[in-house]
Amino acid sequence: MNNTLSKAIVILVTVFLVTFTNSCRVKFVPDFDSELYSKIETTSKAVDRFYLLMLETTSAKDNERAYSNFSKQYVEIEVELNSLLLQNKIRPLNENSTRICEIILQTWNKYKEEHKEDNSISDGLIKINQTYMQDLFYALQVSEKAKEILINQPK
Amino acid sequence: MKVNTNDVILEMLAAIKGTVSENWEEVKTTANQFLQRRKARMELLAETLEKGEITPARFKSRLEDEKLLLEAELNAMAVISKAIAQKAANAAIDVFEKAILAAISTIL
Repeated sequence: MNNTLSKAIVILVTVFLVTFTNSCRVKFVPDFDSELYSKIETTSKAVDRFYLLMLETTSAKDNERAYSNFSKQYVEIEVELNSLLLQNKIRPLNENSTRICEIILQTWNKYKEEHKEDNSISDGLIKINQTYMQDLFYALQVSEKAKEILINQPK
Repeated sequence: MKVNTNDVILEMLAAIKGTVSENWEEVKTTANQFLQRRKARMELLAETLEKGEITPARFKSRLEDEKLLLEAELNAMAVISKAIAQKAANAAIDVFEKAILAAISTIL
C-alpha cells in the first residue's frame, strides 16, 4: 500500500515538474514567419524596381522626373510598407522589427517629400536613395532571418 | 531520488556555451556586413557630391539618415542576440528537465 502511494506521489511530482519546466521556457522573440519574410523580400524588390526604372527609363531633363509622374507608384509602395508595419506590429515580442519597419516607412516618406519639393531627382540621388532603402530592408531581413536560429531548439 | 547538482549545472553551462558559440559567427558576420554596407554608402555619397550629382543639402540630409540606419541595424543585432539568449536558456532548461526525469525514472 505504502509502495503504491509512493509511486503515485512520484508520478504526480513528475507530471508537475514536466509541466513546470515546460511553462518555464523563455521567449524573447516571436517565431520565424516565412510568409512575412517573403513579403519583406517582395516589398524590397518593389522599391528596388521603382528606383531602377526611374533611373533607366527617365531623365532629369524635360521634366520627365516631375513628382506627378511617380506619385501613384509612391503611394502603391507606401501602402505595402504600411501593411508590412502592421503585420510586424501585431506580433508579440516583435518591437525591434517593428521599429525597423517604422524607420523604413519614415525614410520612404522623407524621400517622397524631397522629390515633391524639388519636383525632380538627379541620377546620383536616385542611386543614393535606392542604396539607403535597400540597406534598411537588409536590416529588416536580418531581424526576421535571425528568428530562424530558434528552429530546432528544444521544445 | 538522487540528482548530482554539480553535474547538472555543468551540463547546463555546456549547453549554454554550445548554443552561444554555435551562433556567434552569425553575429560577427552580420556586424561585418553592416560595416561593409556603411563603407559602400559613404563612398557613393562622397563620389556623388564630388561629381556635383547631389546638392550639399541632400548630402547633409543623407548623413542624418545614417543615424536611423544605425538604429535599424542595432535593432536587427538585438533580435539576433535575443534569439541566441532564448535558445541558450531553453537548452539549459532542457538539460535540467532531462536530469530530473532521469532521476525520477530510477525510482519508478
